[in-house]
Amino acid sequence: MKKIKVALAGQPNCGKSTIFNMVSGIEQHIANYPGVTVDKKTGFFTYNEHRIEMVDLPGTYSFSSYSLEERVAKEFIIDENPDVIVNVVDASNIKRNLYLTFQLLEIGIPVIVVLNMMDVAKRREIEIDSKKIAKMLNCPVIEATGSKGIGSEEIMQNIVNIASNNQQYEDFKINYEELEPHINAIEEKISSSTSPLNKRWLAIKLLEGDTSITEHLKHQFSNIEEDVKKEENIFHEKYDKDSPSFLASVRYESADIIYHKAVKEKKIGQETLTDKADKILLNRFLALPILILIMFLVYEISIVWGYKLTDYTWPILAAIKNFVIDILPPANLIDVPMITDFGIWMVNSANALMNYIPIFFILFALIAIMEDVGYMPRMAFILDRVFKRFGLHGQSTLPLVLGGAMVGGCAVPGVMATKGIADDRARMATIFSVPYMNCLAKVPFYTLLLGAFFKPDMALMMFFISTVTLFVALIVAKLLTTTVLKARETAPFLMELPPYHMPTFKGVIIRASQRVWIYIKKVVTIVLAVAIVLFAMLQLPGLNKEAEAKYEKSLDKALSSFDNKVKKSKYYEEVNTKEEVSELLNYYDGYRTKRMVATSKDSAKAIDEDYLALNESYFKFIKPKRDKEAKTVNKALRKLSTDRKRILRAIKNEKVENSLLGMAGRAIEPVTQYAGFDWKINVAFLSSFAARESAVATLGSIYENNKADDMRAEEAMALNSGYTPLHAAAIIIFMLLTPPCIATMIVVKMQTNSYKWMVFAIFFPVLLGIVLSSIVFSVGLINNWSGVEAMTYFYITIVSIALIIGLVPSKRINWKGGLQSKAQGQYNIYDKNLNKGE
Amino acid sequence: MNAKVKTLDILPKGKKARVRKLHAKGKLLHKLLDMGFVNNVEIEVIREAPLFDPMELKLHNYHLSVRKSEARLIEIEEKMNEEN
Repeated sequence: MKKIKVALAGQPNCGKSTIFNMVSGIEQHIANYPGVTVDKKTGFFTYNEHRIEMVDLPGTYSFSSYSLEERVAKEFIIDENPDVIVNVVDASNIKRNLYLTFQLLEIGIPVIVVLNMMDVAKRREIEIDSKKIAKMLNCPVIEATGSKGIGSEEIMQNIVNIASNNQQYEDFKINYEELEPHINAIEEKISSSTSPLNKRWLAIKLLEGDTSITEHLKHQFSNIEEDVKKEENIFHEKYDKDSPSFLASVRYESADIIYHKAVKEKKIGQETLTDKADKILLNRFLALPILILIMFLVYEISIVWGYKLTDYTWPILAAIKNFVIDILPPANLIDVPMITDFGIWMVNSANALMNYIPIFFILFALIAIMEDVGYMPRMAFILDRVFKRFGLHGQSTLPLVLGGAMVGGCAVPGVMATKGIADDRARMATIFSVPYMNCLAKVPFYTLLLGAFFKPDMALMMFFISTVTLFVALIVAKLLTTTVLKARETAPFLMELPPYHMPTFKGVIIRASQRVWIYIKKVVTIVLAVAIVLFAMLQLPGLNKEAEAKYEKSLDKALSSFDNKVKKSKYYEEVNTKEEVSELLNYYDGYRTKRMVATSKDSAKAIDEDYLALNESYFKFIKPKRDKEAKTVNKALRKLSTDRKRILRAIKNEKVENSLLGMAGRAIEPVTQYAGFDWKINVAFLSSFAARESAVATLGSIYENNKADDMRAEEAMALNSGYTPLHAAAIIIFMLLTPPCIATMIVVKMQTNSYKWMVFAIFFPVLLGIVLSSIVFSVGLINNWSGVEAMTYFYITIVSIALIIGLVPSKRINWKGGLQSKAQGQYNIYDKNLNKGE
Repeated sequence: MNAKVKTLDILPKGKKARVRKLHAKGKLLHKLLDMGFVNNVEIEVIREAPLFDPMELKLHNYHLSVRKSEARLIEIEEKMNEEN
């Protein structure tokens, strides 16, 4: 087996990924290029006794060093020295695509040109003489249609042929006319170079002012920079042109020559389908309504359909949970083994995350469709002007919408979707603003608080909550881009609006699955690790002796009351020991929980049969039917079950109160008191860090009173907490700004590639939240505001600030782009130390 | 051919022009060159965004959007009824 390494290069929108999927099939790996957040896709396949490894380079318009993607692509060529470069070219846009092709041909590594999307070219009546192009470029040119699987055999054949030297590969040279003498002069200077790379290419790159190549050669030729400068100056004196512009011009002219000799377009100047569609989709008055409609549909489909899907997936998760509960040691009355508690806790944590997978899958599939269709850049085109004012970018639209522009989204896909933002500063700002959007899992928390404190004004409050977030996100973005992110690299807004394409089913499914898999691999695993720590913090140190005795006593009371009730029954023999009662109780509770999740008559029947088989004599106490004697036991049993649940809840609360987390909640009370938070709320916030859902559960259990009535959590909270609506408003404001959950933190780490920024993303919102909610609470207390008043003033203030920022034109900071001194270190991916880092 | 010098950001919708000079440096210059703003290339303004900025252009037979702040750096020479 011979090994061949192939680099797949091409401009954005040339259909590179369809070619990649067509050739490499399913065996794909996704990683990052060392030290940066650019996806590195690698595919493996075997052809004709050769094992071929294909690396998908990032799509770039050029091969200079002026964007992260280009640097990454070149770094790969320099370091890995692939055997073949496969250059994918959009057949209906040959002229511009050849600009990159020439630069690849100059590297000196054999190139295979793949004319992709031939079907589109044919439909537009573009006639391409690919043999002629092959002759002019001196390399094989293959006609292909990636979306229909045409051309893959030929591509593999050519790769193997070139790599095994069956085909003579010839050097390709563009004649750079007036610049040639200078290229030769520099080539001369570096002729003794130890670099394996083509000398002429290096010389051209030096004249282009390519920083990475200059670095590459500097250690051998210390004054190479001055030499190049000299040549450039002579050239400039003579022709009044600078070498980068001149090189680009010659390349475009050469592309023009090839285009005119080998391509005939019959429909030139005619309206394409894309033009017609854009007339509507980008129309001054229709663009915005259509965009909102599309976003609404994405939302509707992913959240609504996703939830429908969870109806099918949730029973699976519930079954897993029940299975775990069944194999764990059962509780003995109120003595629950630690391992059982722990098992249930872990399954609950995992299920809370896994439950989102159907929604994520649909979301990721929809994003993939929008990417493939070509709507994404148009979305950025429509809204760029708004976002630019806040230091963001047109491309921030989708991440913010996914984060939850309406009722509730999720920051995880939102932050993941920031990957494509071309402007690095705006990308970072988007990453930090997405978590402020409405998180789906916060909704129950708001509902609980609104139900408890804002019954008459629920609709108004919900409107405030769901619309204030976007303004907060925008203000935060502005704040960060003018301060901590000031020195980050920016990029000019030059975005291609590619022709619309039909997405391929395979491509969409592959991409959606890959992203879901990343979520499972990275997020779920780490969250579970954190869940273990949290469990320990909630359980330890546990109950003291006094408390234990106290609960034993109340249990004894409940047991003797049960005993009194069933004494006269003829079945008393079966339930007159502690062990028997304990077993019966577990049997009864297990049956009740299983029946709760049974959705159909058939499944309910199956459970009945299971339990009948499990213990026939106990079954009559659960379903006594007409058996009067059993009915008595059943009634007593129900009472005992409620009593036991009450005691267990009380134990749990006392444990939480004395736990490490409870202590932490108390420890920060001096700070949080200004916002009106007592330790209970603090504990809820702390535990909600792992997964939002637990905030409601924690609060619910803390405020349940110990009388066994079925009062709802809202009522219990309103009655037992001692909070006023003003307290609740402060709590809501903090929750709006509160740190993203751990799952989000992990994707922030993935997208920023630094723990430092992850820590920042945790503490900055907490600080902001506590400051703002303290201000609202303290000022509200002095002025005797009601909760609704406080929220209204807060809302008006935030919206006003956002509007002022949006309407007052600001200076453009660091707009000329380029590397600022501060950002240099972060960006020099040639610094090998970085590659060994995180 | 009668021509007057101006910058791309004020070229109205539907009009064509040729690139004369780029008043940019460093990264922005390179990016503009890579996207095809080379000397003498013909550019057509297709439309403005709904909020008037950025603008959509057609050059080298493909479509590109540019913010007006960048378009201001591209010196052009408007084509005056060349077709007639």
